[in-house]
Amino acid sequence: MGYRIGVDIGGSFTDFAVLDERDGSLRALKVFSRQDQPGAEVLEGMHQLQQRYAIAPGEVSYFTHGTTVGVNTVIQRKGLKLALVATEGFIDVLELARLKIPNMYDLFSRRPTPLIPRARAYGVHGRIDADGRETTPLDHECVAAALHAAVAAGCEGVVVALLHSYRNTAHEQAIKAIAAELVPGLPIFLSSEVWPIIREYERTITAVVSGYVQPRVAHYLNSLQQALRDVGVTPEPRITKSNGGVMSAEQGKSDCIQMILSGTASGVIGAAFVARAAGVARAMSIDIGGTSADLALILDGQPQYGVGETIGEFQIYIPSVSVSSIGEGGGSIAWVDDLGVLKVGPKSAGSNPGPVCYGRGGTRPTVTDSFAVCGLIGGAGLGYDAVKVDRDAARAAIAPLAGRLGAGVEATAEAIKDLCVSGMYGGVSGLVSRFGIDPREFTLIAFGGAGPMLAPFLARELGIGEVLVPPTPGVLSALGGLVADIKNDFIRTIYAGLTDGVQDRLREGYADLEARARHWLFVDQGYNGTSTLSHSADMRYAGQSFEVETPLDPQAVATGDLAALAEAFHRRHEQLFGHCDRHAAVQVINLRLVIGGPTPQPVMAEIAPAAGPPPIVRTGTAWIDGAAREIPFYRRADLLAGHRFSGPAVVAQDDCTTVVPPGCTAELDRLGNLRIAIAGAAP
Amino acid sequence: MSIDRMSLQILADRCAAAAEAMAYTLMRTAHSTFVKETEDFSCGLLTPDGVTFASPKAIGATWYIGLDYGPVVRMFDYADGDICITNDPYAGAVATHTPDIHIWKPVFIDGELVCFVAGHIHNTDMGGAVPATLSRTLTEIQQEGIRIPPVKLVKAGVMNTELIELMTRNVRVPAQNWGDLNAQLASVAVGESRVREIVARFGLATFRQGIGDLLDYAEAQARRIIRGIPDGTYFHAEYADEDSEGGNPCRIAITLRIAGDELELDYTGSDPQLNASLNMPTGGRERHVLAMVGLGYVLYSLDNNLLLNAGVLRPARAILPRGTVVHAVEPAAVGMRSLTCSITQSATFGVFAAAIPQRMPASPAGGLTIMNVKTIDRTGRLVMASVGPVGGGAGGCSGADGSDGSGANYSFLKNTPVEINEAEVPIRFNAYGLVPNSAGPGRWRGGSGTLMEFEVFAPQTMVTARNRDRSHFGAWGLNGGKAGATSSFVRNPGRPDQEILDNRDIVHCNPGDVIRIAGSGAGGWGDPFERPPETVAADVASGLLSTEAAERDYGVVLVNGLPDTQATAQRRATPRPAPALFDYGPGRDAFERLWTVERYDALTEILAQTPIPWRHWLKGMIFAALRDAPGQQIRPLYAEICQRFPQLNAT
Repeated sequence: MGYRIGVDIGGSFTDFAVLDERDGSLRALKVFSRQDQPGAEVLEGMHQLQQRYAIAPGEVSYFTHGTTVGVNTVIQRKGLKLALVATEGFIDVLELARLKIPNMYDLFSRRPTPLIPRARAYGVHGRIDADGRETTPLDHECVAAALHAAVAAGCEGVVVALLHSYRNTAHEQAIKAIAAELVPGLPIFLSSEVWPIIREYERTITAVVSGYVQPRVAHYLNSLQQALRDVGVTPEPRITKSNGGVMSAEQGKSDCIQMILSGTASGVIGAAFVARAAGVARAMSIDIGGTSADLALILDGQPQYGVGETIGEFQIYIPSVSVSSIGEGGGSIAWVDDLGVLKVGPKSAGSNPGPVCYGRGGTRPTVTDSFAVCGLIGGAGLGYDAVKVDRDAARAAIAPLAGRLGAGVEATAEAIKDLCVSGMYGGVSGLVSRFGIDPREFTLIAFGGAGPMLAPFLARELGIGEVLVPPTPGVLSALGGLVADIKNDFIRTIYAGLTDGVQDRLREGYADLEARARHWLFVDQGYNGTSTLSHSADMRYAGQSFEVETPLDPQAVATGDLAALAEAFHRRHEQLFGHCDRHAAVQVINLRLVIGGPTPQPVMAEIAPAAGPPPIVRTGTAWIDGAAREIPFYRRADLLAGHRFSGPAVVAQDDCTTVVPPGCTAELDRLGNLRIAIAGAAP
Repeated sequence: MSIDRMSLQILADRCAAAAEAMAYTLMRTAHSTFVKETEDFSCGLLTPDGVTFASPKAIGATWYIGLDYGPVVRMFDYADGDICITNDPYAGAVATHTPDIHIWKPVFIDGELVCFVAGHIHNTDMGGAVPATLSRTLTEIQQEGIRIPPVKLVKAGVMNTELIELMTRNVRVPAQNWGDLNAQLASVAVGESRVREIVARFGLATFRQGIGDLLDYAEAQARRIIRGIPDGTYFHAEYADEDSEGGNPCRIAITLRIAGDELELDYTGSDPQLNASLNMPTGGRERHVLAMVGLGYVLYSLDNNLLLNAGVLRPARAILPRGTVVHAVEPAAVGMRSLTCSITQSATFGVFAAAIPQRMPASPAGGLTIMNVKTIDRTGRLVMASVGPVGGGAGGCSGADGSDGSGANYSFLKNTPVEINEAEVPIRFNAYGLVPNSAGPGRWRGGSGTLMEFEVFAPQTMVTARNRDRSHFGAWGLNGGKAGATSSFVRNPGRPDQEILDNRDIVHCNPGDVIRIAGSGAGGWGDPFERPPETVAADVASGLLSTEAAERDYGVVLVNGLPDTQATAQRRATPRPAPALFDYGPGRDAFERLWTVERYDALTEILAQTPIPWRHWLKGMIFAALRDAPGQQIRPLYAEICQRFPQLNAT
């Protein structure tokens, strides 16, 4: 018995979630992130845990960690200087991407500059066809020339991505062998090893991003391992993954691509855990920080998965927890255009310099400042007293906008908040329509520093009936890492019609994936508990150009029951798109397998029941729904199970502030979740 | 504006969200891959007069921002639960070719009509003379499939099933059209419920006022942008290579008149209505979207804050002379109006470049070809597939090179991966990438063209190259920048049986034939001699510029890949002609030496006095006559033709 610790490093803060294995209680901590010295914040946090909660490093029984070091490497373009070796005639795969350009109405819009310039892309002679047959042997001299040229050009690593390598890896492997001989020590990244999917751009960019971030991630993980050893944390740290699972830090050093979106994914995993514990079947989680607002669907306690998540300016195509960016967050800047119309974003003060009211150098009014002006934040410590709210500074920043609009400062501040919410509304509305769901049946789980203050207003616009604010919304990502399973995805492209004769290929394909999966879990990860396997396939109707991931019954695969497999696809298609065609030919593009080793799930401690009304810390004047009102302020730590109160009200806690709008009712459930029933929601 | 300015953007966001919800519903439930992948559809919220006031921001086709349903909307009295439909380009000038089925639904609240929700889908096939309905060779609208006049598809909630039967009986894949129509019905249902939510949120009076304010706001933004453009009259002409199969160039001419915060796009001087399907059915409406697509791009590019709705077009009007390619009359075929519309966009960019050259980019490559292959696999199974678009990049602009391979007004394009093509179609690709030396040279170079080369294996393989263009006329450079390279289309390049295919759109292939298509390059911006030598060296290192071209076009002498400072300085100091505002490239320069502005003016006058059905024929006769007598003026040539064909005088 000891403490399980989850740590998530974000742009402004590093969050710690600490679970006491003895009683299931959860503690939270925030320290400032150290962009200058990644890893230092972990040590600082361990130090504070000891001081504050008397948790000794030697008592740590499990340690998980999520970091943005990978994604920052891409955003700041500080990765490895790479060369690309591609099939002759196809070296422009990164330049062309999938052609589409970000802003399709703007004649000046551009695709992002590729991570590897064309001058460092080398074509090699040799060809594998779509069936995996070699039609032209690999020209070894050509490969040698490319490798020498790459080294001469100062390349520090080489990505090899040849056509149809998802089907036959021989040429990519041969290049790796040649490189080992000719340029020993030069890191080589094979697209068929990183993530072997069909579609050359998607496979290539995924391998490129993986190679690009690898040395920095590996260096970071080395320092982390060393630092933890130095302070006396003995368990091997685990790293949270984009797919919502965890893996060993050792694995993370080579499998960097898997951890690149670990922060956003583990937030959703944390929210899913909260949803399961609270018995919420249909939830959307919304994570609003200083620079982003991310939305995810959680159905029956499970996050949704997809590919194509965005890393800086690029998308990568490994299976990830599906998260949609729906806005810019609390740091979005408000302004008035030259026709006198109020706008919010797209520029953001981010977390640095941040909002004016945080007094860290920000000069332009942000959404967070509008909450300060309305009197909804401040007056209680934020960020564990690391942040003070300067309301006067926020007023001074918003006053010029109010002047131009001919409105009061408070009214202007509220309009900024409303505008921020309406921008997010658009994002949620799009997601709702894409999935064909009814938001009124959902609970909105709010977290991130700005989530609990904005989500109730967003819910009101969307007609969402309930907002749930977990006990420590600021550290939900860190909690997500704690409760995540050890998990990995495996894929194999077979590209075949679902017709007689394919049964053996399906069986062989899954047998291969299962063997690899078990090796990963029990050998590579040193896991020795029970495991779960989930079989699925990317399927489509012949002629469609996109696939639908369809969960499959392994029994139907084993018995070769094609009718059952086809039916699973028809149903899934109907579920997603409202129709299916049982007469149409079905193709199986990829076989997929997910292996999981469940992590012990904490039992959340119940909160003591309330006796009497919740204590009001103070009352204060706040501007809300168009009027100044005297409203009560509560301290989250004071609230007990069953405490109920009506809005307008504010609940302050170390990691965030929750605003309960007028007419809404808040109640603390037995697990300490603040459940806000939204009244006056749009019909 | 009366809705307060703090709330206007909120209303704009909510209305755009409603339009986007419609679009996502359409994409999610549509049956044809065409809708899901190429996003050839539109959705919008319309005022009670039929003017589009909200559209999706990031999905759908980019041409329909200011679409005006007015003429068809006014044809009916509405009851709650009605839905109307049309695909007839000659009824109200809303549909722009027959595959586009438009529907619109009134939204009633408390018995009052508050707005319409509307949209269209490009159906893969609407019947007619050829599969997939469209072909350049068609000459009459009747060959382009079944036409549905504006009618009520649903009357107070009751579907007109006879109409559906009539339609599905006349198309080649009825289940797909029916599926897509249902997706449209789902889309307008979602739109209607979103409008109800917005009205509940803002109140009916505010909503009614607000949609007017949204149009006024966009209009005010557009007027402010226009005020930033110097008053004056500007002219630009743009040409398609061919006005019909193997035909003469097709000219789109625009005279732009800017006065204060208003502008006029006068298309007088554009070619006559064609005996091919390249005509634009604008009905002569002065704000018809097809004539305004380029303007929308220009205004939005000058200010990305522009709210995209029909208000943007209010300060503008187009003059679209009747019986020309920009205002075709029934029964002219219109199926391939996209090629002509693309030319009008380039012409619009050109005429604005004449007005504000520093603020505009050089010409995008244009000439986008959609490549399709019909062949058989080893088992004899027929395989038909689009293997992707082949075009070129965006023009260079102040401060940035043009994007390669695609961009500007073709930014919405997506390609098909080579691996998917090879898995689906029994052909083998030799190359897919960029065309070296295709980018228009400039201080900021244009975007390169796209190269596609593949080998076919089966006899009776047919390759279709839809919308072939730019084989003769390149994309212009601006402010001293040079034109991009023209496109090429070749069978069996470098082999003894090599064949130049030029603008051919149907190619019958034999086993072993290699098809190679190189898209055109976009125009460069600014004097290429001012491009820093190290940047030129990097271009050479990238393989997209040859050492010879670096010296010839950029005046940069490279030794072992590095700029030779002294030699470069010498080369760049050599006297040369002063850089021109526009550089049109050799093909167009040669053509315009013959077809001067004066000759075109004469031709335009003559054709305007000629009955519409005669015009394309007469144009061809005059072109042929001038080819034979290149020194002649147009009027004497016309007089000779009148003598040869006295019937012409009788008309």
